[in-house]
Amino acid sequence: MSDSYYFHVADRSQEALDPMAALEFVSDPGFGGVTQFVGRVRDLNHGRSVTGITYDLFRPLTLARFAEIAKQIHGELATPVKLYIAHAHGRLGIGDLAVVVAAGTRHRDAAFSACRLAIEAVKHSTPIWKQEHYSDGDSSWSEGCSLCEQPHVHADHAHSPTDASR
Amino acid sequence: MEIELELFGALRGLEPGDRLNLSVAGDIVADLRAALGVHAASHWPQDGAGLLATCAFASSTEILRDAQLLAADGRMAVLPPVSGG
Repeated sequence: MSDSYYFHVADRSQEALDPMAALEFVSDPGFGGVTQFVGRVRDLNHGRSVTGITYDLFRPLTLARFAEIAKQIHGELATPVKLYIAHAHGRLGIGDLAVVVAAGTRHRDAAFSACRLAIEAVKHSTPIWKQEHYSDGDSSWSEGCSLCEQPHVHADHAHSPTDASR
Repeated sequence: MEIELELFGALRGLEPGDRLNLSVAGDIVADLRAALGVHAASHWPQDGAGLLATCAFASSTEILRDAQLLAADGRMAVLPPVSGG
């Protein structure tokens, strides 16, 4: 990790994600643009009443992937950028924060781009798994995106746009 | 090669402690995929075994493709489709 990047996995039993800390980290006297995405657990998915989400993750690879994402964004934008990526681990209730991404750059366009690129990469290419819990006592893992180069059968790559977070 | 495999997400609960020790006849990821497929067919419910086709494999630092060598320390993870955020 450098002075420009901060990556974190927050064990929900120990701490909550902190959006203000993210904004402070990416702020800089030379940066006029700061953007942030906060993903929260909501109470309905596919018409089912959701009571919470458990996030499972492979911590060392998740943090390594966050670093790769930052490197890719820095290369793609070709402008100075500060980036903060933090994700929750464990059982979350409705309204709890699941993910916080923030970006700081000189101008707004790059700040929006960096934040969007980062959250999409976190959602689609980081080893994190979401298990939804429903009010009827049932639970299920979200289908998600395969990390295979070419899945060995027809994988459904599409995230449901109604996953009960973000 | 002896591999200690860690299971995540929808694969959790299929093995005690979410870990599985496998003897793999070869040293690349495709060999591990084949060995796990044989194990899953006889030990896991159909849903779990079917999910393997969409799983990736990784060391603690990188995703490893089928033609790549297994982690030298023998510790690997099997990654179902991801759904963070």
